[in-house]
Amino acid sequence: MQTKTAPAVKRGTWTQRFRRAFKNDWQIYLLLLPAMIMVFIFCYLPLYGIQIAFKDYKAVLGITGSPWVGLKNFTDFFGAYYFKRLLSNTFLLNLYNLLWGFPIPILLAILLNQFERERFKKFTQTIIYVPHFISTVVMAGMLYLFLSPTNGMVNHLITSLGGESIYFMVEPGWFRTLFIATDIWQHAGWNTILYIATLTGIDPGLYEAATIDGASKLQKILHIEIPHLLPIAVMMLILNCGSLLASNTDKALLMQTSGNMATSDIIGVYVYQMGLGKAQFSYTTAIGLSINVINFVTIMAVNWISRKLSSTSLF
Amino acid sequence: MQTQKRKVQKPLGDRIFDICNLIFWIIFLIIIIYPLWLIIIASVSDPDAVISGEVLLWPKDFSMMGYEAVFQHQELLRSYANSIFYTLAGTALSVVVTLMAAYSLTRKFAGKAFVNMYFVFTMFFTGGLIPQFLMNRSLGLYNTVLLMIIINCVSVWNLMVARTYISTNIPDDLYEAAMIDGADHITYFVKVVLPLSGMIVAVLCVYYGVSRWNDYFTALVYIRDRTKLPLQTVLREILATLTTSTSSDSFFSAYADNIQGMTEAIRKAEVAKYCCIVVSTGPAVILYVFMQKYFVKGVMIGSLKG
Repeated sequence: MQTKTAPAVKRGTWTQRFRRAFKNDWQIYLLLLPAMIMVFIFCYLPLYGIQIAFKDYKAVLGITGSPWVGLKNFTDFFGAYYFKRLLSNTFLLNLYNLLWGFPIPILLAILLNQFERERFKKFTQTIIYVPHFISTVVMAGMLYLFLSPTNGMVNHLITSLGGESIYFMVEPGWFRTLFIATDIWQHAGWNTILYIATLTGIDPGLYEAATIDGASKLQKILHIEIPHLLPIAVMMLILNCGSLLASNTDKALLMQTSGNMATSDIIGVYVYQMGLGKAQFSYTTAIGLSINVINFVTIMAVNWISRKLSSTSLF
Repeated sequence: MQTQKRKVQKPLGDRIFDICNLIFWIIFLIIIIYPLWLIIIASVSDPDAVISGEVLLWPKDFSMMGYEAVFQHQELLRSYANSIFYTLAGTALSVVVTLMAAYSLTRKFAGKAFVNMYFVFTMFFTGGLIPQFLMNRSLGLYNTVLLMIIINCVSVWNLMVARTYISTNIPDDLYEAAMIDGADHITYFVKVVLPLSGMIVAVLCVYYGVSRWNDYFTALVYIRDRTKLPLQTVLREILATLTTSTSSDSFFSAYADNIQGMTEAIRKAEVAKYCCIVVSTGPAVILYVFMQKYFVKGVMIGSLKG
């Protein structure tokens, strides 16, 4: 009798416990559901659509009905005469953007941290975050307005100094410079936030000890602040390396003119123009997929190297 | 006496450093502020003065004709209203959905590892523009207001920031106490987590709000009805084109009904562009300046842990 009831009781509590857990858990799943559905629609359904990269997509046949063509779209792209230009334009734009855009916020954060007066620091922070709230469209609009060869302030200044008007938005040589400079102007201030937060977390005792030892400000920067910023900086670098071939499509599209195509023609813009403008869906999906794979492999590789070298990694 | 003197007097190297630092920041702040100032003064100056480059430090021949042109422009005003609606509705939805999921991810439940992977994977691998376009079109979302509100509803990055914030700032004791009192997850989320999440809500509002307000690309891809266009997409047509008697001028002159009105409109258009920038960006910047003390600290906390 006893041996019979004991398991029964045990099972009873187990079911009870399971029921109680489920009674709690179904609410967790309910709270998760909307986010999972949204991510499913906008991130996972497109993954299903990737198959058209290996097909010859015809709208009438649909995604599943279109015939397979194997790797034709990929070989077409890798063999195209503009392939090298697209790849190098995208890579160089991102590389230069990283080389300039990555260290500047760190430098700004360190310099800002040297202020002893809290009020001046707050004021400066407020100002340097402002451009972050300006849209890409307005940013590009400002470039067109200020740099206009006939009406723009910059060219007025150049001609009044005896120079020749420069057609900034039409000359390929200016595209990357303008792109990166405006990116820094807009976002370098905002990107200091992460580093400032790290710097304010440093134990004040370290500074006091350094002052007693007679360290100058420069030495404190070198020996206290930079070592504290290093791990987080490495992490940001890894994240950024994953987007060396990613495309700043929206900004490049705004800044592209028929004149500066030689440098402004990047993969993202090309995919947009060919894919949506000329309805070459399969071909551009193949391009997008190749770039995605390359980016994915890059970030994994950089992450792996970083873990080996400095034990800092994303995962 | 001596100790006091030593305290006040900083080493020479430090003083030089401070002065250089100050000079650097003054120059940097001018670089940040001057272009913005230039836009404001150009927007209230006479077009001829702006075109000839005389407006450099102060408005010249004060005039509001640019703003008149902007406020007479029906399409611009409608797109402005559209943008306000898309931003408010989209941001509200995003914040609620993100917070609910973020809270769930701080609790233990069966299948948590899978759900985590499910979200994180999308940070590193996406379908790309074209597959997303085709799928959304086949879902019937093409050219709909609904798409403008729900697209990219959840940013996984923001989700992770919110999750970290909740798990580090809301003590687990509260959860245990609430459970003993018989609360379930939804009650606990609404009655305890939400009231304690003010800062992260502000941060999410800023992140989602800014990206929605500034997005022109989504509408460029998905919206064909001009009545549904958001502000930035319309602004693009006005601002981001080469100005050699182009669409932007005709954009404003379309409302002129005779030749004289036409030349006047083209003259106006030059200043109206500056006004467009002020009208579209001004509210966002002012909102930021007044709201910053509520969210900048939150952004810092979130960025550090996330």
